[in-house]
Amino acid sequence: MTRRRVVVTGVGAWSPLGTTWPTTRAALARGETAVAPVTSWDATGFPCTVAAAIDVGTEVEDRRWPLARAAFVEAWAAGGLDAVAPARRGVFLGAESGRASFATVRALARAAGGGATLDPTAFAAAAPAFAARLDASVISPAAIAARLASLADARGPVATVSLACASGAAAIVDAVRAIRAGACDVAICGGVGADVEPLMLAGFGLLGALSARGESCPFDARRDGFVVGEGAAIVILAAAEVAGAHGGVEVAGVGRSLDGYRLTAPEPDGDGAFRAMRAALDDAGAAEIDYVQAHGTSTPLNDPAEMVALGRALGAAFARAYVSSVKGAVGHWVAGAGAIGALCAIEAVTSGLVLPTAGLRIADPSCAARHVMGAAIHAPVRAALVNAFAFGGANASLVVRS
Amino acid sequence: MIVSVIAAAGVRASVGGATERFVDDRALESVPLRVRKTMSRGAVLATAAMHQLVGALPAGALRDAGCFVGVGASGGAVSELHAMLRASTVDGAWSLARFGGAGLAACNPLLAFQLMNNFTMAHAAIQAGVGTGVHGALFSRGAGTVHALAEAVAAVSDGDAAVAIAGGADSALHPVTRAELDRMHAWSGVPGEGAALVAVARGEGIARIVGCRVIEAEARAATALPEGAIVAITDAALRAVIADRAEVLDVSAALGECLAAGPALAWLCALDLLAGGAERIAVVTADVDGALGIVELERAS
Repeated sequence: MTRRRVVVTGVGAWSPLGTTWPTTRAALARGETAVAPVTSWDATGFPCTVAAAIDVGTEVEDRRWPLARAAFVEAWAAGGLDAVAPARRGVFLGAESGRASFATVRALARAAGGGATLDPTAFAAAAPAFAARLDASVISPAAIAARLASLADARGPVATVSLACASGAAAIVDAVRAIRAGACDVAICGGVGADVEPLMLAGFGLLGALSARGESCPFDARRDGFVVGEGAAIVILAAAEVAGAHGGVEVAGVGRSLDGYRLTAPEPDGDGAFRAMRAALDDAGAAEIDYVQAHGTSTPLNDPAEMVALGRALGAAFARAYVSSVKGAVGHWVAGAGAIGALCAIEAVTSGLVLPTAGLRIADPSCAARHVMGAAIHAPVRAALVNAFAFGGANASLVVRS
Repeated sequence: MIVSVIAAAGVRASVGGATERFVDDRALESVPLRVRKTMSRGAVLATAAMHQLVGALPAGALRDAGCFVGVGASGGAVSELHAMLRASTVDGAWSLARFGGAGLAACNPLLAFQLMNNFTMAHAAIQAGVGTGVHGALFSRGAGTVHALAEAVAAVSDGDAAVAIAGGADSALHPVTRAELDRMHAWSGVPGEGAALVAVARGEGIARIVGCRVIEAEARAATALPEGAIVAITDAALRAVIADRAEVLDVSAALGECLAAGPALAWLCALDLLAGGAERIAVVTADVDGALGIVELERAS
């Protein structure tokens, strides 16, 4: 049986560099970076005091929502799919960090009496007031997918993929599989992250994963950790026969794997990452990879492990493929990271615009590759590989081709 | 299909005078103390279930398995958060600057892993040395766990995995979760917790999965439930629909509201009934957000 082809009909993004994909793309192409000192709170003493943040206003209850909504509206506006029945529209979104916001934790502490351990009596007395401030329909990880489904009148499958840094790419994987399986004809997919807030910076800082120097410079010899960023990227996918003339590049291959290794570090030989890439390449069949949008977090361990895995997965093609990571410019969006990476790859295959790795000046010999540095270049890209790897060892890869 | 379960194992008085169903620590002895201290409750429960599942199969059988787990919003342990917050106050007042130093120093260094939902799956897989294949951690308050099973079935059907683990793990005992659900008036039972996993493969097993689907909330009214025996986790609407059915086992009260773990726990109740002689059972589980999961199981010949 012939497999359904899945094509891109629209993309949208709200990033720290722009409120749309074209404005973001232009800034990325110039090699700009959005990494800057945190100003929304006093980050003195934090392990990392910089981020790539977005100001969405102070009255917003869930900062993920305006980001995701704007990215969706932009992507859907590419048009051509309004006639698709609501029951044939699905939503697949990578999202984390629903309820564990700093404000929630502080409210919990107040409700619980502020002692060394939970005081049941104090909590019971304060719980009603605490509950009144918590609206699960807003802060749940699933809230964004549910709200997008409502906005898009999507009544097909709705799923929230919570795979940490691989969430956004894994959501696209699930969307592709759902369209191929006939569960829906159109999928609104991607990811959103809004983790520039004290609790998440504290958490990542405690792991020693953040850049103490305050710079996101994937593959560079100076890299010392990642910088938290935030934003949303949405891709509209459709079965090729449904998209018709509105269809663009194809998401031809998807792959997933688990390291099953360690919580905090990738396998040094990148075997889990290799298996995800290999699975995506095999799934795509023939694909001439001319560009890789790498996971490239700027951490000492991830970047070389990914390069080792890339070399294994691409073989001779690795020497010719351009490599870059968008995290140098917009930081690490965690649940949204794989989705903004996918947009970079779609752009490369669509227009030949190969975006650079901001912050990369001197490539570490352990990360040797055909890096794109400084500003974007133009080159024919027949197919591109997108990687997203998560803490805990979850890996997702995509192959996009013309 | 091979199954494993950590289900509610005790009842104790809880805050507010209600009751809750919690997993007794004896059921978690296979999980190293270090893990119990550092990871979220969901991850600990999932790890215990994963150990059980591994023990039920030949050595190495699950090493390259797919792994699809419905996971809840993890949340940091309250004791951890309190230690952090207590160290962040100066003269009784909250201090962000203090938080950035002493507050962080008081934290479990793996705090971030408690806050990321995927660790319920990832940590369990690493601890048990399984599941290096295709995977997914689907956020769930019920329906996501049924999605996880559907993904596992698809992975096996499509040849992406020879064996795939599926299930859910969650705890509704976290104060934030309790407050959320209180506000929504969404309890289908008393707060509960648990984890349940099954292994899905081609060939002979203890049951056949003949259907697996999620009905979104708005489509529920137009959906006919399967004929025959039903194991259910109910909400008020589902209770009304199945009230007149002859063969219904509503496990909501017994299990408590286990959120992401609930449907998987109910599958295992159904598998027990199949092992006892039932031919076919539909497991119908109501999600707190209104979706319905329907998993149809047949006794293996």
